[in-house]
Amino acid sequence: MNHKACAELLVSVLQTSRHARQKEEIRYKPATWLTVCLFAILSAIFFFAGNVAAQGSVTGNFHRIEMYADKPYPQYEYLAYRMLRHEVTNPQGQTSDITSRYSTAAIIPGPTIIMDEGDVAEITLYNSIPNPDKIDLHENVSLHVHGVHYDIVSDGTLKYINLFQDEGATLVQSYTYRWNAAVGTAGTWPYHDHNMSTHNGAEDKGLFGALIVNPVAKTVAVNQNGSIQSVPLSSIKKDYVLYMMDDTFAGTVIDTQTGKQTPVWSNPALTAQAGSNVRFHLIALGTNFHQFRLPGYSWPDPITQTLIEEKAIGPLEKHVVAIQASTSTVYLDSTFAGIAQNMTGSFNVAP
Amino acid sequence: MKPHISGSQIKTILTCLTLFTMLWLSNLALAATHNIHLAAQTLPNGQHAYRMLSHTSSEGSTPTYPNEATIPGPTVFVKQGDVLNVTLTNNTQLKVGLTPGSIEVSPGDTRSFAYAADQVGVFPYYDKDSHMVGLFGALVVDNPNGAIDSFIDEIGNIVPTKRADLDKEIVMFMIGSTFWGAEMVNGNQIPLWTNPTLGAVKDDLVRFHILSLGPGHTWHLHAHRWPDRNSKEMIDVKMLKDGVDSHTFTIKAGSGVGTGYWQYHCHLFSHMEAGMAGKFHVVAAGESGASIAGASPSGHIFLNPFTDDPGLVTFEITDEPGRWFRSIRSDILSPITKTRSLEVIPPGGSVHFIMSETNAVHTITTLLWPSGANDPDHGDHRVIPFSQTKAYKGGAILKLDVPGLYVFTCRIHPYMFGAVIVDDPATEGLDLGESIDIVTGINGLPTSSDLATRLLRTFFVATVQENWQDYTSTKPWHPNYPSVAVRISGGAVVNLKDVLEARYGQDVKLASLFKPTTPGVGEVWINTQFEKTAGKTKPGTITVLDAATWTIKRKIALPQINMNHPHNMWSNREQSVVFQTQWFDDKLTFINREDGSLINNIQIGNTPSHVITIPTNDDITVAINGENGIRIIPAGTMTPQPMIMTQLPGQTAAGPHGHWVTADGKLVVTPNVITSDIGLYDTDSGEIVARTGSGGVFPAEPHPLAVGVGIDKVYTTNLLDHSMNVTGLDGTLIKTINLIADYDPVSPTGPDTVKDRDGDGLVTVGVLPIQTPVDPTGRVVVTANTGGSITIIDTQLDRVVAMLPCDPGCHGVNFGAKQGGGYYAYVTSKFSNQLIVVDVDLNNPANSSIAGRISMVADKSVPTDDKVVSLAGMGGQGIYAIPNIYNGWVQHLPDAWKAGLTAAQQNPVP
Ligand SMILES: [Cu+2]
Ligand SMILES: [Cu+2]
Repeated sequence: MNHKACAELLVSVLQTSRHARQKEEIRYKPATWLTVCLFAILSAIFFFAGNVAAQGSVTGNFHRIEMYADKPYPQYEYLAYRMLRHEVTNPQGQTSDITSRYSTAAIIPGPTIIMDEGDVAEITLYNSIPNPDKIDLHENVSLHVHGVHYDIVSDGTLKYINLFQDEGATLVQSYTYRWNAAVGTAGTWPYHDHNMSTHNGAEDKGLFGALIVNPVAKTVAVNQNGSIQSVPLSSIKKDYVLYMMDDTFAGTVIDTQTGKQTPVWSNPALTAQAGSNVRFHLIALGTNFHQFRLPGYSWPDPITQTLIEEKAIGPLEKHVVAIQASTSTVYLDSTFAGIAQNMTGSFNVAP
Repeated sequence: MKPHISGSQIKTILTCLTLFTMLWLSNLALAATHNIHLAAQTLPNGQHAYRMLSHTSSEGSTPTYPNEATIPGPTVFVKQGDVLNVTLTNNTQLKVGLTPGSIEVSPGDTRSFAYAADQVGVFPYYDKDSHMVGLFGALVVDNPNGAIDSFIDEIGNIVPTKRADLDKEIVMFMIGSTFWGAEMVNGNQIPLWTNPTLGAVKDDLVRFHILSLGPGHTWHLHAHRWPDRNSKEMIDVKMLKDGVDSHTFTIKAGSGVGTGYWQYHCHLFSHMEAGMAGKFHVVAAGESGASIAGASPSGHIFLNPFTDDPGLVTFEITDEPGRWFRSIRSDILSPITKTRSLEVIPPGGSVHFIMSETNAVHTITTLLWPSGANDPDHGDHRVIPFSQTKAYKGGAILKLDVPGLYVFTCRIHPYMFGAVIVDDPATEGLDLGESIDIVTGINGLPTSSDLATRLLRTFFVATVQENWQDYTSTKPWHPNYPSVAVRISGGAVVNLKDVLEARYGQDVKLASLFKPTTPGVGEVWINTQFEKTAGKTKPGTITVLDAATWTIKRKIALPQINMNHPHNMWSNREQSVVFQTQWFDDKLTFINREDGSLINNIQIGNTPSHVITIPTNDDITVAINGENGIRIIPAGTMTPQPMIMTQLPGQTAAGPHGHWVTADGKLVVTPNVITSDIGLYDTDSGEIVARTGSGGVFPAEPHPLAVGVGIDKVYTTNLLDHSMNVTGLDGTLIKTINLIADYDPVSPTGPDTVKDRDGDGLVTVGVLPIQTPVDPTGRVVVTANTGGSITIIDTQLDRVVAMLPCDPGCHGVNFGAKQGGGYYAYVTSKFSNQLIVVDVDLNNPANSSIAGRISMVADKSVPTDDKVVSLAGMGGQGIYAIPNIYNGWVQHLPDAWKAGLTAAQQNPVP
């Protein structure tokens, strides 16, 4: 890259700022002119990012998030997301760092990102997945999110799909996504890679997590003593994020009082206090269909507004089971494949 | 008792009656009568489709339908309460029906039925037999008041909507792993065919009707969300369950997200890998929101060059032996191609696979492709090599641009073959391409090479039933090859038949059958997996051979359960119950050994391959080849317990095939086909002891298929790597034996193609090795090589010490007792109908020889539960000799069975 190229790049950054700001170049070999160029580009990006945040499209909090995509175990094929930083700026401009809520490790499922309807998040993804056999600068890892609003540059897909650009982090370039949890997007949603290795991504290797968008109303429908009650969101004591992979549940437990997230991995034993309200955030991922059951419990079906005792869930569907804990039981996938693979774990309720 | 009705009650009743009558009349006034005349037709690629001949409505206007038969068929829009008088004319060559209505129409006939649209919703209409290959369409029954599903706008309002507000309606059928689409704009119905690019202008109101028939899916559209069935629950993924299902929703295009190419796809990972995706293109106001159709059965393909529309050829995946990939127009092509499994398209054409006639799970995987098709500078590198990580139900679709030969297989059933020639019409001869790349990592193999033409010959033998070796015929073996000009390396144009006959001979005299002079002990059960009988649609029998007389004792077809591809057997300790896997199904079958009768048929898991017991407790272990574990059935029961998983949670499903258990019962050893490793698992704890990467000759996809367990070593065949791994019982790799060290694959066929290249003084070749058991004493490994040879490994040397001839598709090996001491190795071949009996020399393994050749064809006197109608004795695969004389098992035989064995046979490893 020469000075002219730098200038052209800078111009294009400014002209198509909304698009080009998504890319931040990192880890280039030191060269004075390059540093200058980078500085100029990064300044432009920063300027624009600040602009967006201040544009008034944000009615709620602004989330600044940085995550890694890692290969946590050299001997295994697993890939996983790791939280690096999460700062929240409220509409009054006060910023708090909530990074300590997350595990410092790369985990499966990945960090659960919690937003309120009306919030906006900017998430920068770094790719630290080693690529030993071919230093392929195009090898790409991404975040594709479901449910919320984002424009085409935040789709997290390859140019092969979006006909615009490769929207992911490479070994030498991070990528920033902007998610708008606009009013109307409340719910539990998956996010996952769409770019690693192939245009389908490596979601099947562990690159997935959950986004929970809390409703403006801040209430939840729960089965309490056999009837559907609308309770304050704050009455939920624990959130269990349970991904249903083809052969296992993979979970994270969130203590809603502290916000602390604890990875609990495969078919975890879950605990609750009797009488407390808890939620299972279920998302399937892979190829198999599942039938979720929690014998002894029923919960509100959001479609029919009736109590149900089991729920069929297909890949990337989501379903939230909100109950008041009373007796110990197990959760399970009751399909033929679920039973053959022993997809089950205990739900232990302490009196 | 007399009824007593008071005056006021009468008044109430009358009022009610009047009200009902008024309601009924008002309904009548709203309801319309539709006269709909559909035709079923066959499209140029052989798929079938419905076409609208006429549609009149008492209400007046009806849509403008396509002037051709389309997939999906015409979308019929009516209102609740309407009556449909439906007429179907069958212009195809097969019986065609219409559900709902349940009519059956013979070719050339016309039949009618009336249908009352009494329920609001979207419903598929379809033919119950041919719906997977095109005979389906959508019936949309709307609310008479015009209200449809609400959409959510960019600020979160759920907006009630009427059909009249819509800018466009889209119908998408999810079939196999392909989308079939159509759209309706201003009363015009436009076919969009496969995986189209759907178009819409930003803020257009678009209603989607998603339907599925057959295996289920999850529909996902990027960046859009909608109320699930008009509720307050927002979703962007919707499951369409197995069988018949549908889902309707309305969106405002680009709402809150803007313009762009937004992907839609099925979110089942195997279906994503199978190509089940397309684009939803939202454009800015003022631009054209027209959709772009995808590849079509009526488009440009071989023999249908009359259009510039991109064409599509279709392979049905079937359980029919040889024709596992069957071109749906093979009746037309096969006189030229001599096989039902070869298709020809121009560059830019598409290939479509549909698992419409199989009970198994499969992958659709490129075995080889023209060099350059996966060049990173080329768009096709995103699809070539093509495969799925995990076997599943569905199909596949992909577009091919680079001319040359592509061969597809299934990773689970690696003798299923389908080939596509992408032929540049501008060149002379069908383009096989300059060179091919093979999935194992061989790149740039000239199409003139011996390996290339040997693979082609294997393809024409494996896929053509008539090309199999019939040992009961007196005629020489005469495989038919297509007499077509093909363009190969260096641009040479040659006749394919001439080349194959010159290289590999023609009218070869088959060896004569003869019985071994020394009898065997007991019975030999052979899976004649392709033999077809009258009482069932699926192939396969068990041939029971009396080893004392070498005559067939019984044929077992089990028509009552439509036994499908019986692949491998074992028995309980008492030798009274035989366990049988159905490899193209999900069943394990329990059979009474004495009389061949059915005891039970249980669901065990997708595509069970091999079965073996744990010698120490007689528990049954079944390798679930299409999935990820070893299913356990406790001894004496028929209830499967959870699996020993072949991998850690969340890891790629290993796909274990021909497993074995150590004599001490402590370890189950699996060749993991999909993950290319040898797994050792603790039978007590289910824990992984070791997983050792397999392979050795070529860099990728060795495809370990079977293991043999000796006293302290494991022998694993690598099918596509033509090699054998020798590992310790702790998983340590001791050695890799290259079975093709004496073979030159790259040069054109010649006198030096096979010669002693490794300098061991022997010429031995084991191409595509499969079953490989170690004899009960641990001295000899006998390996069946698909390429048509039996190789013998001396375990004291761990090298090949002898080679014996075998038939095409040489596959199964197992040991049985020889009367008076010693063992026979019984060897089967898929594409012949003889059993080869190898006399194994345990003192000098190099001296092992063929002791006999037994026909697997039964004469009329043989007791059977069904009548053999074709492929008599063909498809030899699993073998199980009774009594079971393997070390660890033989010690547990009932005394009556032990009586027939020598002292050494009763204790093979003293
Ligand atoms: Cu699907
Ligand atoms: Cu298969």
